[in-house]
Amino acid sequence: MTEATLSMNSFETVFQTVRALLGATGADLSVRDAAWSRFCAVGLPTTRDEEFKYLPLNRLYETVYGAPHGATVSREQVAATGLTTPAGFTLAFLNAEPAPELSMACSLPRGVVVTTLSQAREEMPELVEKYLSTVATFDGKLGSTNDARFVDLNDALWQDGAFVYVPAGVVVEDPIQIVYVTTANLGPIMTQPRTLVVMEQGALARVAECFVGLEGQAFVNPLTEVVLGSRANLEHLRFQDETLESVHIGNIFVHQEADSVYSSINTQFGGDTGRVDLNVFLNGEHTETWLDGVVVGAGEQTLENHTRIDHAKPNCNSFEVYKNVLKDKASGSFNGKIFVYEDAQKTDAKQTNQGMLLSPTATFNTKPQLEIFADDVKCTHGATVGQLREDALFYLRARGIPKDQAQALLVYAFAAEVIEKVKVDSLREMMTEKVRAKLS
Amino acid sequence: MLTIDQLHARVEEKEILRGISLTVNPGEVHAIMGPNGSGKSTLASILAGKSDYEVTSGSVTLDGEDLLELDPEERAAAGVFLAFQYPVEIPGVSNTYFLRSALNAVRKARGEAELTHNEFMAHIKSKIKLLELDNSLLSRAVNEGFSGGEKKRNEIFQMAVLEPKFAVLDETDSGLDIDALRIVADGVNALRSEDRGFLVITHYQRLLNYIVPDFVHVLVEGRIVKSGGKELALELEEKGYGWIEEELAAKA
Repeated sequence: MTEATLSMNSFETVFQTVRALLGATGADLSVRDAAWSRFCAVGLPTTRDEEFKYLPLNRLYETVYGAPHGATVSREQVAATGLTTPAGFTLAFLNAEPAPELSMACSLPRGVVVTTLSQAREEMPELVEKYLSTVATFDGKLGSTNDARFVDLNDALWQDGAFVYVPAGVVVEDPIQIVYVTTANLGPIMTQPRTLVVMEQGALARVAECFVGLEGQAFVNPLTEVVLGSRANLEHLRFQDETLESVHIGNIFVHQEADSVYSSINTQFGGDTGRVDLNVFLNGEHTETWLDGVVVGAGEQTLENHTRIDHAKPNCNSFEVYKNVLKDKASGSFNGKIFVYEDAQKTDAKQTNQGMLLSPTATFNTKPQLEIFADDVKCTHGATVGQLREDALFYLRARGIPKDQAQALLVYAFAAEVIEKVKVDSLREMMTEKVRAKLS
Repeated sequence: MLTIDQLHARVEEKEILRGISLTVNPGEVHAIMGPNGSGKSTLASILAGKSDYEVTSGSVTLDGEDLLELDPEERAAAGVFLAFQYPVEIPGVSNTYFLRSALNAVRKARGEAELTHNEFMAHIKSKIKLLELDNSLLSRAVNEGFSGGEKKRNEIFQMAVLEPKFAVLDETDSGLDIDALRIVADGVNALRSEDRGFLVITHYQRLLNYIVPDFVHVLVEGRIVKSGGKELALELEEKGYGWIEEELAAKA
């Protein structure tokens, strides 16, 4: 038996387990079955697949992952990873199951919902079904290499997740934190975290999605769908800190209506292999999209970000800044797609992506991909790969700052442009501390 | 205090310093003047520990300690300060954070206690007045977007904060208008003391009207070819470097 079939067998086993569990509750399985057959038709990717060219997924082939199991974890254990819980609502999951013992409820403005998807489906089924699985799709979108296999996998296997709903015109002051803790303390497991965020017109909120690994080998395959009504404003922080034996493949799909603002800060620190696909579809005029990211890779980590912005309507602005710091034998890559549709005149899209290599054995691949079908647009992209600036390092050392401290300071300064955009103090400090800790 | 003895240095195959000897005693200000390409800035960089240069022979000691064996940060801890000709911009690092890291690193290396935030702020507030710098510069990133004059004043401000034993000023006057020059010179003069030595490197005599040196040395093609008192600078200003070069040619 080849590794590929061995691996697919373990996926099949998990699928049957999940299907049996959900079938017993009388749930409709047609969406899952369809997603499962789409996934099976293509299977796991290899580096011969265009969208996975720089991402060797040997671990997925070589590891037999079981279905997630229950676990007991204390708040202290989670805090020991460095995860901060800001004042506000925290909804936590442990191995993809709701974990009230790690959650923190607080009062929310009238009409705002922060709950599990399973509960939301019981209590407000129309609202959930209206959006669930409708955002995460490439149907009707441009692109010749669209690859949704891990979206399909999550669609087929997910069991629970988070639901955030902010009604029209409501402002949520405190951050809403969603934490997915994974511990594979009894052998390798796969989990499929699922998040749905719906913001009605004029709503405003900050949502932090944090993925934290405690122990062992996990394959974490989250899918997040975000719907922004007109004039809605969401700050979306994403923090990936899985164990160094884990594989994290995250997909985020965002749908923006007119005049809405979506600001994403996407950070990756953990995982043996980490990959995040962030896809934003602009479905109305005068939207703003800010995509910022930081990657800090060390050891033999492989960390990737793929962003995609579909400028489908005129007069929309998008700005991207991704910073990648890589040391030891770490490898990083960035792929930034911008599609400007035929009607999307006056599009203004700016993409910047920088890699900093701290050792001769670290590597960074960058691929801006702009496909423009309108004629009156402003699209720019810039990519740089470099080392620490010697003149700056000497300047700091000449003032008495020891070499390793000076290096850490300069690396932080490189990433600071993005990290300093995190407006919640405790979360920004958490990021800063993560950068320092990983580089020292 | 600082003793340079028969210092030879090169970049790749090119010999730049060809046997410099110089002693600066505590309390003295020495000026080094010379035409472009004479090796002035190379000397400054070598004293601070820049690795682009290879010292092929000779020695540099500060109070008997071999400076050439030390890393740049160890030299700073030993009391050496270089005011850069081209101060480096460091986006993302605030001036305050930078200065506090530097001061505490130097104090730590000297076995002194690190300053608390309040002690540190009190220390720098007293120094920032000296250089007539705006307080807002403290929260801005190191040298980022500073004007030429602000950068040079920031160098002298850092010197005031770090209180070195021996300071090298590398063309601190270049690019300064007369007001900025006066402020920089006042800052330096305020730091002159019996136990502190200065090496002031400049192309023009102008700066030396404000920072009056005890000794002036003329550097040509990597050698000190003439030394004298402050009047030598005036003579150079009047006659130009050509005069020295002709004098050398006549001797040869």
